[in-house]
Amino acid sequence: MNKNLFARELKGNAFSLLMWTMVITVLISLTMSVYGTFLENNSKILAMMSILPKGALQFKGISDINDLFSVLGFYSANNVIYMLVLGSIYAIVLSSNILLKEEYNKTAEYLLSWPLTRSEVFTSKSAVVFLNVIFLNIVTAAAGFISMTIVKTEPYSINAFLILTLYTLLLNLFFGAVGLFMSTLVKRSRPITILSIGLVLILYFLYTLSKITESLSKIGYISPFKYVNLDTVNPVYRFEFRNLCYFIGLSLILTILSYQLYKRKDIYL
Amino acid sequence: MSVPIIDIRDLTKTYGKDRGIEHVNLEVEEGDVFGFIGPNGAGKSTTIRVLLNLIFPTGGGATIMGMDVVRDSKKIKLYTGYVPSDANPYSSMDVDEFLNYCHGFYRTGNGADRIAELTELFELDRKRKISDLSMGNRKKVSIIQSLLHSPRLLILDEATMGLDPLMQARFFELIRSENRKGMTIFFSSHTLSEVQLLCKRVAIIKEGRIIKVEDIETLRKKQLKKIHIEFADRADNEVTGLAGIENTPVVSGKTLQFMYSGDINDLMLKLRNKKIADMTIEEPSLEEIFMHYYN
Repeated sequence: MNKNLFARELKGNAFSLLMWTMVITVLISLTMSVYGTFLENNSKILAMMSILPKGALQFKGISDINDLFSVLGFYSANNVIYMLVLGSIYAIVLSSNILLKEEYNKTAEYLLSWPLTRSEVFTSKSAVVFLNVIFLNIVTAAAGFISMTIVKTEPYSINAFLILTLYTLLLNLFFGAVGLFMSTLVKRSRPITILSIGLVLILYFLYTLSKITESLSKIGYISPFKYVNLDTVNPVYRFEFRNLCYFIGLSLILTILSYQLYKRKDIYL
Repeated sequence: MSVPIIDIRDLTKTYGKDRGIEHVNLEVEEGDVFGFIGPNGAGKSTTIRVLLNLIFPTGGGATIMGMDVVRDSKKIKLYTGYVPSDANPYSSMDVDEFLNYCHGFYRTGNGADRIAELTELFELDRKRKISDLSMGNRKKVSIIQSLLHSPRLLILDEATMGLDPLMQARFFELIRSENRKGMTIFFSSHTLSEVQLLCKRVAIIKEGRIIKVEDIETLRKKQLKKIHIEFADRADNEVTGLAGIENTPVVSGKTLQFMYSGDINDLMLKLRNKKIADMTIEEPSLEEIFMHYYN
């Protein structure tokens, strides 16, 4: 870890972190602000929903229509796309560029000519990814918590909310590790950003596909989204050990692999 | 004899189908101003990038100040400065920010004084954003960052590219004065004339191999000129028999062209009765010199 590099990266990435955080916070708050109206139209929606196929609800992570009307059910069903998908895109774009940008901007020739080890470069930069993703998650979850407190009509399980928040954080961190790994495999590639975003969207698409199509349900297992349990209103909702192992284990393996690869990587400019 | 400051032993770097460099051996003594010349793509930058551990050797190895370039890279870099051939400092920073960032990695000497002194010498505006700077000004930023910590060894890769003649002269003066104070300079370039101005010894690299290590004096004695004469009327081989004609002169129409290493006065004397419309005497390109002496 090198303080100078770490501070520089924090500063250099602060603007985009604040923008992403702001956008996701606004989206969450806006969505939650329509909860009241949603409840008022409850009966109409209930009637409408009952004719929807079961799969369409499952797609939103909800097993029972009535769950959608609890504030936490509404939160987890409607904010998935922001917190899970946008948060993951933020994490993977940041992490896949943080090392690689030095190559395609040709600044690696300066950075690596200064007294720094490859390990210090890697750890300082991945620490910034780690902290930024945590920051994004804390602020957006806080926005969710505050807006739920404002709009709720009945109490909800804080415990379930915290578990959902932790799932989101782990998924985002996992994509952070994927980004690091991808960037150590390619050479000075600019299209890494498009690739990263594409990967998140494809995996999310596979997950939704597996949810709504019975025959394709197995495909879901290759998508990390599958391991995020969104069924927050289920009375037995808890953190599953298997999923914890999946996220933490894979993230660690990918990060360690990236570290080893980066230490031996030829930096061509 | 003391340990060479740069010691490259049988260094090979291949990547994919590209040649890279093959079995490069080179020693540079401390206090030297060492030229490293060769045409573009000969392997100069590859060699330098191995020394800086940007890329890893395929075979062989190298030491700087007796330390291994792979294992002790960080320690080596405390005492080396580097000016890359492509000057692309962080474009989002301004000059001051970049130089302070760079100095932050060394924690030696008084950075602020040194930055002030060098930016003044190169007439560089410290408040300008790097993305707004011209190629030449970026090069100045590059040069300054390499000198902030007063390195023992300065590695320059095409360091004068983009600098105007006045700045180039200042830069050479600075290098000479730093060299007098003990700094070793490793000067990579494809321009023979600037290497001649500065260096005591040169290594010539071509197609990934060192083909000659020579004192600059020896090379200077072989000073070769490319002569092109346009006569008022039909040209003939007017210079037959003159000592120092290095190839078979080419005659076409009114023009005569040849390589000459003899005394210019002898040539003038030989031509004194001819009516000449135009004449150029130029330094041959490095490639032409190679073709001549090392093929």
